[in-house]
Amino acid sequence: MSLLTGSAADGAATAGTRPVTPSKRPTRRTGRRHPLGRRNLHGWLFSTPFLVLFALFMLFPIVATLVMSFTDFGARNVTRPLEAKFVGVDNYVQLFSDDTFRTALFNTAYFVVVGVPLTIVLGLLVAILLNNGIDRARTFFRVGFYAPVVTAIVAVAVVWRFVLDPSDGLVSGLASELGMTAPDFLGSGTWAMPSLIAMAVWRNLGTVMVLFIAGLQAVPTEVREAARLDGAGAWQELRRITVPLLRPTMLYATVITTIGYLNVFEEPFVMTQGGPSNSTLTVSLDMYREGFNFFHMGYASAMAYVLFVVIMGITVLQLRLLKDNTR
Amino acid sequence: MYRPATTAAIVLTVASALTLTACGGSGGAGVAADAKQTLTVWAMGTEGEKLADVAKAYEKSHTNITVKVTPVGWDVAHQKLVAAAAAGKLPDVVQMGGTYLGEFADMGALEPIDTKTFKQGDFFPAAWQQASYGGKTYGVPWYVDTRVLYYRTDLAAKAGIKSPPATMGDLQKAAEAYQAKAGTKWGLSIQPGGLDTVQSFYPFLYSAGGEILTQDGKPVVNSPEAVNALKNYGSYFSKGLSEKSVRPGYDVTKDFNNGSVPMFFGGPWVMSLLDDNYPDLKGKWAVAAVPADKSSVSMAGGSSLAISADSEHKPAAKQFISYLADVKGQADWYQRTRDLPANKASWESGELATDANLKIWRRQMETAKTPPSEPKLTEFTSKVDAAIEQVTQGHSAPKAALDKAQSEIEGLTR
Repeated sequence: MSLLTGSAADGAATAGTRPVTPSKRPTRRTGRRHPLGRRNLHGWLFSTPFLVLFALFMLFPIVATLVMSFTDFGARNVTRPLEAKFVGVDNYVQLFSDDTFRTALFNTAYFVVVGVPLTIVLGLLVAILLNNGIDRARTFFRVGFYAPVVTAIVAVAVVWRFVLDPSDGLVSGLASELGMTAPDFLGSGTWAMPSLIAMAVWRNLGTVMVLFIAGLQAVPTEVREAARLDGAGAWQELRRITVPLLRPTMLYATVITTIGYLNVFEEPFVMTQGGPSNSTLTVSLDMYREGFNFFHMGYASAMAYVLFVVIMGITVLQLRLLKDNTR
Repeated sequence: MYRPATTAAIVLTVASALTLTACGGSGGAGVAADAKQTLTVWAMGTEGEKLADVAKAYEKSHTNITVKVTPVGWDVAHQKLVAAAAAGKLPDVVQMGGTYLGEFADMGALEPIDTKTFKQGDFFPAAWQQASYGGKTYGVPWYVDTRVLYYRTDLAAKAGIKSPPATMGDLQKAAEAYQAKAGTKWGLSIQPGGLDTVQSFYPFLYSAGGEILTQDGKPVVNSPEAVNALKNYGSYFSKGLSEKSVRPGYDVTKDFNNGSVPMFFGGPWVMSLLDDNYPDLKGKWAVAAVPADKSSVSMAGGSSLAISADSEHKPAAKQFISYLADVKGQADWYQRTRDLPANKASWESGELATDANLKIWRRQMETAKTPPSEPKLTEFTSKVDAAIEQVTQGHSAPKAALDKAQSEIEGLTR
């Protein structure tokens, strides 16, 4: 799963920045001129390529999805789109009595609640170690941790399947050397999700690490020195200096990771197909199935909007809670 | 005035929008079969790769026609077809997987075939049924497949199994014997869950006299016959005769070769797969008909060839399809792909008529069943997949799981 792509992530990102636009409006309005004045013409012309692409590939699908979520758009409407019936909020009502969707919501929550803190903490740890602890081969380690981010998911899946294979995998091999038996990770309802979380953490650690390294290098040395002169140990320095000063970075990393994890699709899609017994079925995967396997476009659109509202709510909450209070 | 600016902006936007969404206008009436033309054909998987050779041979005898074959991977086939149907850009001739046809016929994307040229009696009944929807036939059966039992003969001797299991009771006894006496890890490989588990379940279901849908489309997945079949299917897992968790993309032939799986149900392509990949195994395995419960009935699969409703080359498309579906074309296709011919007459000569293994396929195919074409079939069977998984994993009793599937499917047929 890449953190910065995926249409829902983009949708959420656009929505996240939307509140900024109104604040710009007053400055423009002071002119009190025609909105399409000659001065603006060049601006409009220059932005036309973007506007056209944005309208066609973002705005239109976003609005179409919203409209579709109130219809029973299905396979037979593919050739006759206008015959789709308007069903009001039926899709949404049906969603909340749908066991599969509830399972998917639960699984996604599980993935996020365990995955995000793990990614952030491990990312911070790795960043601190690479920033202070290791002098030799620093680049080597940085590349090592970042490589999974840029590796194609299919290649990752092949490697991880081998690692997790119950009969001749790496983990089961190690376990049998130690006289233990490893569980069948991807085949067991209890272990499948933790395995996917481990894989996602490994894949996304690099992004978070890079963010934190940049943040760490922006922490002024004077502050650290002052703390050390006052007798702060390594742990106190981390808790009282590093973490508070990294707060803006941490906010960004958390928000972006959470959005990415809420949209989780690729890991279960390539590794388990949502199984065993739907134990790794996430909202995005459920949406994909409903939309593209069964062609319930209306229903899948409603799901997309529920996910969108959830993502939006959580993002706003995080921005509130983790806001930088020091300024 | 500022008007020109507005106009310019609008014109530019509209122009780019039009360029990006430009659609080809339809060129009016169809083209006669003997006119010079290009026929577009989409075929999936191996068929897609091998069809180009046949197309070349066809072009030699029909010089006015160029056949452009586009191979489509099975994994993306459904999505590509839906997108093409939505855009009205389906090729002239398209290969329809068994479960697809109902959906596309329902969309109005396919042209009914001429049943005077292609006669129902020439093809296996299940294949014909798969190509029909709502009383009309939309495809010409191209090749068929079914499932039969593959078993290791060398290990069977060790296990003291003298003849291939003839009944479902024998099958389980054989699985136990393989495990106990021949030391195989498992007794029989059947799919425990996941997408299309139902295909693994069909031989059990049909042999027990059950069905997913009746011929008039009513769901009957919780019939007593189906419950019995699922009980039988589930018992392989509760007795440890079959593996409870199988990874996506599991290849049974590997375990068949190393002896940890001595029996499985497989399609015709497995024969050439085993011959090609494990030549040492030759002579150590055989195929047998599905063990009988009430009777021995397997599932029917395969593909048909359909003409898209928007095609402008319908007469030529029909001619090309008859070339592929007649006795000679079918026999030739078998030589190229080992796909089992859908045309019954092509089984009357050559290897197809004499080979002992192929006789089993033929017999199985004559009685094989398929659910009626139905646009939501994949969705229905996905509910059955879930029910089977509940049972194989020991989360639910067969009756309860199938009752749930039944009510879910009834909810979908509303």
